[in-house]
Parts: sequence; C-alpha cells; structure tokens
Amino acid sequence: MSEAPPSLSDVVVSVADLSVRARERTILDHVSLDFSARSLTAVVGPSGCGKTTFIRTLNRMTELTPGLSVEGSVFYLGQDIYGASVNPVVVRRRMGMVFQRPTVFPMSVFENAAFGLRLVRTEEDEVDRAVTEALQRAGLWEEVKDELDRPALSLSGGQQQRLCIARALAVRPRVLLLDEPTSALDPGATQRVEATLQRLKDDIVLILVTHNVGQAARISDRIAFLHSGRLVEVGATVEILERPREKLTEQFITGRYE
Amino acid sequence: MAVSTSPSVAAVDDLTRDRSGHVRRRTALDRAIGWLLPLLFLVAIIPILDLVYYVSSQALPTFTLHVLTTNPSGATGGLYAPLVGSLAILSLATGVALAFGFLGGLATAEYVSDSAAGWIRVTANVMAGTPAIVIGLFGYIAFVTYFGWGLSLAAASVTLGVFMTPYVFRATDLAYASVPPHIREAALGSGARPLQYLLKVASPIAFPQVLSGVFLAMAIGVGETAPLVLTTTPVEVPPLGLGSPASALPLYIWTGYQSGYILPSAIHLAFEASFLLLVIVVGLNVLVRIIAARSRRRLEGLFQ
Repeated sequence: MSEAPPSLSDVVVSVADLSVRARERTILDHVSLDFSARSLTAVVGPSGCGKTTFIRTLNRMTELTPGLSVEGSVFYLGQDIYGASVNPVVVRRRMGMVFQRPTVFPMSVFENAAFGLRLVRTEEDEVDRAVTEALQRAGLWEEVKDELDRPALSLSGGQQQRLCIARALAVRPRVLLLDEPTSALDPGATQRVEATLQRLKDDIVLILVTHNVGQAARISDRIAFLHSGRLVEVGATVEILERPREKLTEQFITGRYE
Repeated sequence: MAVSTSPSVAAVDDLTRDRSGHVRRRTALDRAIGWLLPLLFLVAIIPILDLVYYVSSQALPTFTLHVLTTNPSGATGGLYAPLVGSLAILSLATGVALAFGFLGGLATAEYVSDSAAGWIRVTANVMAGTPAIVIGLFGYIAFVTYFGWGLSLAAASVTLGVFMTPYVFRATDLAYASVPPHIREAALGSGARPLQYLLKVASPIAFPQVLSGVFLAMAIGVGETAPLVLTTTPVEVPPLGLGSPASALPLYIWTGYQSGYILPSAIHLAFEASFLLLVIVVGLNVLVRIIAARSRRRLEGLFQ
C-alpha cells in the first residue's frame, strides 16, 4: 500500500493552485495536488470541507452550478481543462463520474451501459464489446449477463451503482471520479463496490471522495485531507492513518473531530 | 430486555387500553372523518353520474349510425358536419397549442434563466385564467377581422389553440422541470451535450406527462364553446378548407338549445351532440389514465 514515488510522466491529473468561490464564500482555497496513473486517492474531510466541489472541478461539473467561480488550473495530461478552447463535454468523457446515489436512466441495463458510447457514432459491434467489458470491469456482468434487456431501475441499489460505474467505464476514461459512491448503499453492496474499485485501480486513476475513513483505509493508496477548503495534508494511506503530521488530520481520522 | 418480559410489568403496562381522553377523542375524530370522506365523495360524484345518465337517456334511444353519417338539416338530421368540424378544429388547435405550449414549456424548464422562467409562468397562469369568451373576442378581433380570415376553420382553430396553449405549456414545463436533477447531472457528467441530454434522457422521462397534458388540454378544448361562437358559425356541411366556416359539437348544443323553444327536435340534436362530446371527453381521460399507469410502471424508482 505504500506509494511509489510519482515520476513526472506518470501524472495524469494535476491540480494547480485551484480556488473556488461562491460569491463571497471561499469553498476551495489554493489547492494543489497531483494524481498519478494506477492509483486510488481518497479525498476525505468533514461535511462542507469542499471535497465534493473539489472533484466536480476536475471535469468541469462545477459549471452546472450557477454562481461558482473557479480560479487556477487543472491539467489533464498536460492540458489545462479550463483552457479557452477546451470543450467540457470532451473533458467529461475522459474523466467519468459516479455520484452519491445511483443515477441509472429509465432504460435497459444494456442501454444504460451503452449510453456514453451512443453519444458519439459507435459501431454496433464495438458497443457490444465495450458494454460487456465495462460490465465485467464493474463486477456486474455475472449478475446481469442473461437479462441485459431488463429495466435498469429494477436492479438493487448496489447493482445500480455498479451499473453507473460500468456506464462511466464503457467510454474507457483515463480517470474515474467517485463522489461518495457508497453513501446510499448497505454494507454488502458497499463491499462489492469497494472490491470493484480495488480491481479498477490497476488500470485507471481513481479519485474517491468519502467521509468514511474506514473506506479510505480499506481501499485507497493515498489520502488527501481537506478542511475548510484547504488541503491540510496528503500522503500514503498508511502514513496518514498511523503518523499524521497535522493535528487536524489526527483528530479527523481518530473520530475526535469537533 | 429482561424487564419487558417480566409478567409484573406486562400487567401494569396494558397496551390495549388507552386511559387518556385526549387520545380517545382523536381516535373518535379519525373514525368520523373516515366515514365523512366517502360520503363527501358520493355527494360529489352523484351529480356527475346523474348528468351522464340523463344525457345518455335522452340521446341513446334514437342514437344510430345515421347520427354520425348525415349532415344536420335545420332541426333534424345527424351530426356529421359538427363532428368533423369539431375534430378538424381540435386537431389544428392542438397543433397550434403544441407549437407554442410545448416549445415554450421546454424553453422555460430547460433554457431560460430562473427569473425569466418565473415571469413566463405567471403570464401563462394569467392566460389560463382568462375567460374563454375573452379569448374568443381576441380571436374575433385578431383573426376574423384584422387578418381577414372571416368566420372560418382557421380562425376557430387558432383561437382554440390559443386557449389550449397554457395547459400544454404548463404540462410541458412541469414534466421537464420534474426530471430529477441527479439524472441531469449524470447525463451531462457522461459527456452528453445539452441537446443529447434533452432527447435521450429528459424527453423519455417527461414525455408521458406531456402527452397527458396534451390530452387533457384536448378534453378541455373540445368542449369549449366561447372561443368558437365569435370565430366560426354552425354550418350544416363539413368545412371545405381552412377559409370556410366549420361547425362544432358545442356550437350545436348552444344553438340547438336556443332554438329548442320553437323546435323540440333541435333540443334532441343538442342532446345527441352532448352525448358525443361526453364520449370524446371520457375517452381522452381514459387515455390519460392509461398513459399515467404505464409510465408509472416504467419510471418506478426514478423519483426517489
């Protein structure tokens, strides 16, 4: 679980001096943080610390909330995604997102997984292939392979969430952003989603927002601790859990946070 | 745990008896209202059933296919012309209401800023509250005289379309605005362009509600008389084109009843027209129920 020293070429997403303001209020305050290939970083912190806003800035979802102003840069493979000519739609296809609650659409399991593929011209063979692969990677294939035409809304909450992961994976993004993906799930479903995420980190960059230190401890390589919009501390999961440098971090991970 | 199973406590804490009069009074009130509500429902439904029964009993004994296939002739004959006229006016008016109501509702729910949307909704509500005869007067001034269309199918259809527009607008606006925001985020977060979100995700969710609204607007519109009395006239043949006047079922009820003092058979024709209208209105409402039930099944679990 120890972090390999990130070489410069390994960095996929690089957040540089990022601040987000809503009118007078500062939600994120000069955050800088790099994310390397094949890693799972848990962004933790108390409610209202800005962690959800933080991952929403990584694929320009913040633009859907009126009144937010973003300063600083987010580099994806060296390109600033806030650059003038960058198309947010393309950014979101490279960096998929999974939300707190399952967000399946009222269509079949197959069509849900194929959603991103059908947004651009894709050969039907390729759709089949990519959907199968995505469902396998999301750890849902065995449960749904015989009933791909079934309405996705009839799946259980945990299955729906893994279908959402499959939907994001089908377009083969480099980065997957997860905003408390298990907060609406029961322990069994949570465990299956966590197992899925652990397998996925061998291929892609995972950035997981969670308020659950236990979850971060179980599956992350690295923990970033946010507090009041500031990045307090970031380091290998073991380091942060066993030898936090900052008092605030220690209070949070030991549950004595006020 | 051990305490609750001990017999002495169970004896003292009798769960079947309620000693407080306060709770007893509430229970009694609850029962009374439980009886009162079905009673009130009956009070409301009896006049409707009576109306349906009375209209049917007046119209049905002589109601044959003849009524649907012959043109009226004075106070006798069938209702072919007004039936065709009603359906023609209703189709064209629905087209007009869709063009303005659907697109307006869509724009208000999806594209317009919140403050502008508020003003548009107020305007639509005022429009929905405008008396039908005022809409009719507007139609007369604008289409019959100013545009010079005369008393015609075109003038009647567009006027009725104006009358129906706020209903379609409201249904569309509500349908698209009620698509859960997390579904919108998920679609846009998957890299859907706004138009793709609208076509592939929002519309399949909103469509049944829009369709219900359109059918309800049609059910209201088909029975409206006031927008038509000033914009067309009850002729005895079906309309030949947009420029010729079109008769309509509600107009026949209106004129048939008026001339009924002299000609009792005219009243009979009015009842037959009423019966036809009732069938159309009930049919449209049944259609709405079916759409609602089916979409509820398809979308179950989405709006949690």
